[in-house]
Amino acid sequence: MQPQEINEYLHHFFRNSNCEILTQHPHYMNVQLTIEMDKKIMNRPFYWRYIETVGETPNPAKLMLITDIEQLRDGIKGEVLHIGSPRLHQLFRVTREMGSFVKMHEQVSSDEVLTPWLGVNVKVSYRSHQTKELLYSLGINLMTGAVFQDFQETLCTLDLVNEPPEHVFHLPFIIKPQRAFERLDHVINQLIEKEDHQWVDEAKKRWRKDQAVLDYFYEGLDEKPNSYEIEKQAIAERFMPRITIDIINGGLFYLR
Amino acid sequence: MQLEKSTVWQEGFLERLEQRKPWDSWEVYKMSYTIAKKQLIDSFTGLQSLKYLPCVKPLGHQLEVAERVIGEMNGKAILADEVGLGKTIEAGLILKEYLIRGLVKKALILVPASLANQWVEELHTKFHIPALLYKKNYELDYVDVVVMSMDTAKRSPHKEKVLAQDYDLIIVDEAHKLKNHQTISYKFVENLKKKFCLLLTATPIQNDIFELFYLVTLLKQGHLGNYEEFSSIFSTKKRNAEQEEYLKELVGQVMVRNRRQDTGVEWTKRKVQAIPVEFTSSEKETYRILSKLKEVSPVFADSFTTLTLQREMCSSQDAVFVTLSKLLEECTSPQEKEHVNAIMRQLVQQSTHSKADKAVELITQANDKVILFTEYRATQLYLSDVLFSKGISNVIFNGRLSKNSREWIKHLFQQKAQVLIATESGAEGINLQFCHHVINYDLPWNPMKLEQRIGRVHRLGQAHDVHIYNLAVQDTIDDHILGVLEGKIETFEKVVGELDDILTTR
Repeated sequence: MQPQEINEYLHHFFRNSNCEILTQHPHYMNVQLTIEMDKKIMNRPFYWRYIETVGETPNPAKLMLITDIEQLRDGIKGEVLHIGSPRLHQLFRVTREMGSFVKMHEQVSSDEVLTPWLGVNVKVSYRSHQTKELLYSLGINLMTGAVFQDFQETLCTLDLVNEPPEHVFHLPFIIKPQRAFERLDHVINQLIEKEDHQWVDEAKKRWRKDQAVLDYFYEGLDEKPNSYEIEKQAIAERFMPRITIDIINGGLFYLR
Repeated sequence: MQLEKSTVWQEGFLERLEQRKPWDSWEVYKMSYTIAKKQLIDSFTGLQSLKYLPCVKPLGHQLEVAERVIGEMNGKAILADEVGLGKTIEAGLILKEYLIRGLVKKALILVPASLANQWVEELHTKFHIPALLYKKNYELDYVDVVVMSMDTAKRSPHKEKVLAQDYDLIIVDEAHKLKNHQTISYKFVENLKKKFCLLLTATPIQNDIFELFYLVTLLKQGHLGNYEEFSSIFSTKKRNAEQEEYLKELVGQVMVRNRRQDTGVEWTKRKVQAIPVEFTSSEKETYRILSKLKEVSPVFADSFTTLTLQREMCSSQDAVFVTLSKLLEECTSPQEKEHVNAIMRQLVQQSTHSKADKAVELITQANDKVILFTEYRATQLYLSDVLFSKGISNVIFNGRLSKNSREWIKHLFQQKAQVLIATESGAEGINLQFCHHVINYDLPWNPMKLEQRIGRVHRLGQAHDVHIYNLAVQDTIDDHILGVLEGKIETFEKVVGELDDILTTR
């Protein structure tokens, strides 16, 4: 993420979470946090407990965030944000938390029929002594059960609104959510199966090799000491191939 | 294979369908997806961490080390770059990479107490890793990355607290301190689970090849076989070039070592000079009498005492004086006492020391900042007086200084004083690139100590050639030490690799 992208992201993020942007500049911004946001990111539970107990006027923090320190001349002091800085990653986490579930409708003229879809964005992580991640965006038609990939990309081309348009008929879903989850699980498993899994063989190969070296060290001992067990465990943790499936976010979408 | 998934999202979704909770904003939803996409780790190999570290510009060799340790060595390695090439940066890169890839959650960094603050600061400022310096009474459950002094960590009750945690990565700085497998430190690290482990040391062999055996075994049991086999092949007596080559290769699988010259960085030269010093006839006489003390009294009988007195005489009369006055208390017969007293009177009469005179001469010639290393506190004070009497400004640096005083002394040296007189214990972890003359006033037994000393000055950021002066008094124990140093350097180079110049006499 370039400084400009970070600036745009912050702007977007604070506007969408109702925090007033007091000063807007290409290289920095001054933000008045809402009470809710202060509680989320300023890490001062005692302050808030005190204010609420005593009933004093709350004073949520203002933040001066610098997105491009190199372009700034002296005088501006604040937190420097760049990709990798803890504050930015904290905001990323809050973004994920605040954007997990949506229900959206396609903007259409009246007398049209909208079909329900369940959309999910899924991160699949392969882990052994190394890591690789894949992101899938899947949408399942809750009338027919058909599943499409790159669903999010499609959604972004549509005009979506929060409130259902008037005089439009929403089909009730035939496939219940629980069924849809199961179907999506199945599709994800299939997608994973189709991937190249040489990494599993590689991890197992290295695992066997390290284990052999360890066994050799303790060869001939009837009762292996504790240090053997510790190292055996360490080797297993290092190379054990595992796959995690993590839903980033998802929602119910009524589409034409 | 393990498949891990959670149903937390599904449950949250159902709650909203049943209108028990509000839906989220579409704009934030889209942002979240974009962030997830941008942060995706799209390849098993390569360093992801670089894009998260805009403030660090690692050098080529540092990147190679990080890639190799993660890609080929499965995160278990001895990082043995020469002093001053940035082992901390390499370790930081590896830690960061594992954190980003989700392979390490908890990490323990064991360091000498004097370096603890420096580690915490570097991890924060360079790597944005919120490392915490361990203090007594800290609960370790909630601290993911903790820096601890080895001396604290290995003792109860801290040891038990550490062992109760489940660390994914262990980093040990100055790991040559683990060379002896019978020490508490060694046993402590041996008992830690090492899913990933980095041992940092510029000097994996200090005295003999068994130190390397134990270091490698600590990292990876069995990699060099077991002790019986190893010692039958590599006893110090019989040497076999072919087997040494084989050992070097095995060691290379778990150890990375960059030398200054292969870093691609333009390094200034090391100009090493052996400076022979000749004793005056009265100094020679004192040296002779000290060497014969063992015949006078059982108090001086053991060879270590003689050796100490000889080495001290090669350093300063003050150093001898301190030791002699302690030993005098153990003498019982009046004859013994008188004999020792006579020597002490002789010492007091000698108002100069040939080596000190030589040092003054070198400092005057250099006409520049000089760092001088001695092994003895008494010599340190004596030299300070001598230098002051010649109008040469100087400051003293030793292991007893607190962290603040160390910084202050360093500052004084940089701004005001011409000479920094340091003892060994002060040498660790201070960086003095603004200075480029090093006087080894006394020689240690261990060549790696010399390397560490020179490394204070000859490191990244040094703009000038570095002049090193090794002082040795002719026809004394100093000569013998030189011989031992050469032998140890030879062992190191056969198994670990070439060393930069430390001594000239090769």
